[in-house]
Amino acid sequence: MVSCRKKIAALLSLAAGVWGAGYPQVELEIRDHLFTPSELVVPANTKVKLIVYNRDPTPEEFESYQLNREKVIIGGQRAIIFIGPLAPGEYPFFGEFNPKTAQGKVIAR
Amino acid sequence: MPVVLTVPTGFPPRVRTSGLLALGCAAVLWQPGARADGVVVDRVYDPYVQPLEKEIEWRAVGQGDSDDDALDNLQLQRLGIGRSFSDRWAGEIYLFGQNTEDQNFDFEGSELEAKWQLTEQGEYAADWGMLFELEYERNRQQWEAATTLISAREWGRWTGTANFAVLYEWSDDYVNEWETQLRLQARYRLSPKFEPMLELYAGQGTLGLGPVMRGTKKFRAARQLIWEAGVILGITEESPDQTLRLSLEYEFY
Ligand SMILES: [Cu+2]
Repeated sequence: MVSCRKKIAALLSLAAGVWGAGYPQVELEIRDHLFTPSELVVPANTKVKLIVYNRDPTPEEFESYQLNREKVIIGGQRAIIFIGPLAPGEYPFFGEFNPKTAQGKVIAR
Repeated sequence: MPVVLTVPTGFPPRVRTSGLLALGCAAVLWQPGARADGVVVDRVYDPYVQPLEKEIEWRAVGQGDSDDDALDNLQLQRLGIGRSFSDRWAGEIYLFGQNTEDQNFDFEGSELEAKWQLTEQGEYAADWGMLFELEYERNRQQWEAATTLISAREWGRWTGTANFAVLYEWSDDYVNEWETQLRLQARYRLSPKFEPMLELYAGQGTLGLGPVMRGTKKFRAARQLIWEAGVILGITEESPDQTLRLSLEYEFY
């Protein structure tokens, strides 16, 4: 259990480079109407700071009813989305401007 | 009636101070038994702004009261168009009109509204925003300005939203007055298509509580239609017995 948590922490700091102001930070990129990575592993029962970079010239919306979040990110810009604390489980999200291609999920463990 | 509201501590000091100030002022200015010349039931605002969003909105309230003719058979309609200017600011312009028992539908005035999102959703214990409204009623040549503090908080699948408004009405012919209003909403996120809510409205001789439903119909390219329908029942004797409220909001980019 402890080592699992440590692995997640290591992964998170690797992905984010730094630990944000109190909250673990994860990054997500939109490129060619796809979310990368399409699966985001975050610690359960912890608030997480998600930074979404939109590398496309067109706007995209990060939307998830399960996460209760809806956020439009203008082309070429980034947005900060705070999610959780989440119970362990999977939370799908998609891009409302390109719902068929832009899909992914947050996995809380 | 004294107003006692506690302000959660988990948000920035700047917001906390202005929020407390607003609440403090409002508590001092609270007038018991203000005259019932306005419709208090309207809608509960959330504190969020989406960049690039545009919207067309229609809202209607219908009031009924069995033993007060002044409150009976009043219908108020509002048509608005709005857009956001950034990821923090959005504006909307409305035309509104009403009909009463002895008066056909008449265009009454217009309103400008600006919403300011103060905090990022989920960052603090509660999310915060402000709403600024300026309204002109042409028949009575009366102006009304309102500042509203908006707060929302999530508890699992429940979302609680509070609007606390301070209003000032002025004109040459009527007594100028300060008013306060409180609107509360508890919403259960059952599914995007159907969300049951409970709403409370207080102010200007009205205290009402009742069930409201909301649903979202999604279309291509992030367009959506949000509908709300509900009935607010008067709790006190001077409140309208029942107020029906309907709203349709079409959002697009
Ligand atoms: Cu308004």
